[in-house]
Amino acid sequence: MGLVQRVLEAGGIPTVALSMIPALTRAVGVPRLAGISYPMGQPLGRPHDADGQRAVLRATLDLLATASGPDSYVELPFEWPESPARARNASRNFPPPPIVELLKRKPWLLANLYTGRIPHGEG
Amino acid sequence: MAIDSYRFLDFATRQLMKAWAAREDPGVIPFTPLARPLRECTVALLTTSGVARNDDRPFDQDGERRNPWWGDPSFRTIPLGTTEKDVRLYHLHVDPRFGEADLDVVLPMRRLAELAGEGVVGRPAPTHYSIMGYILEQKVLVGTTAPGIAARMRAERVDAAVLLPG
Repeated sequence: MGLVQRVLEAGGIPTVALSMIPALTRAVGVPRLAGISYPMGQPLGRPHDADGQRAVLRATLDLLATASGPDSYVELPFEWPESPARARNASRNFPPPPIVELLKRKPWLLANLYTGRIPHGEG
Repeated sequence: MAIDSYRFLDFATRQLMKAWAAREDPGVIPFTPLARPLRECTVALLTTSGVARNDDRPFDQDGERRNPWWGDPSFRTIPLGTTEKDVRLYHLHVDPRFGEADLDVVLPMRRLAELAGEGVVGRPAPTHYSIMGYILEQKVLVGTTAPGIAARMRAERVDAAVLLPG
């Protein structure tokens, strides 16, 4: 997400990102970033919680108005109403992604995933 | 940083994200100031949750299943007014059920329209955007897809964009 944000910004469009892993997005280097401690899959809030979603979007938009230079970063004060274990449990039936299935068969390829050296012909 | 970025992640994902963060080098970060007050801005949204309309080409999940090092780097346009009834989420790394139950969980077009009604922003753009997250091979994403989205935003006179994760 951060790399795409940089291209848009360099292309003349002011941008702000919302991130649940702000340490990673910020390491990429982005102009404006709002960090939030919400679980994957639910960045704006829970389904049908319109008020909560609107508050998150509004707080993210605010950074467009207040940021004065690159690497502007705010942490949004919203708290997720469930524990991490409970939030993860809600997705326990979601199948693991293909890369996880591959690494179960070929665990030595984990080093490639860590370093970004993408192997060719090892699908 | 007071937020624990890794709080909701399982142990293996947490270790991987930390390693990736340590590898990044921000370099010179671009910055484009807002051209007008936020309350006058046309705003577009971009989600990385892999949303595609049911009448549009799906994101290529089978391609990623064949080669897990690959992710579909193309983008889809999502016209304002599209709802959860009109779409599917194709991201293979994030549970799609929340966004498929309520599209505003990942692409808050209704919330943006409400904020326009309150005068916080000028108006939602007529078109919003979707890509897949978790693209390891970033050449097409950065070299073709993102410039294509930027060109389309400029053509629709978008004043600011909000990027939202999966």
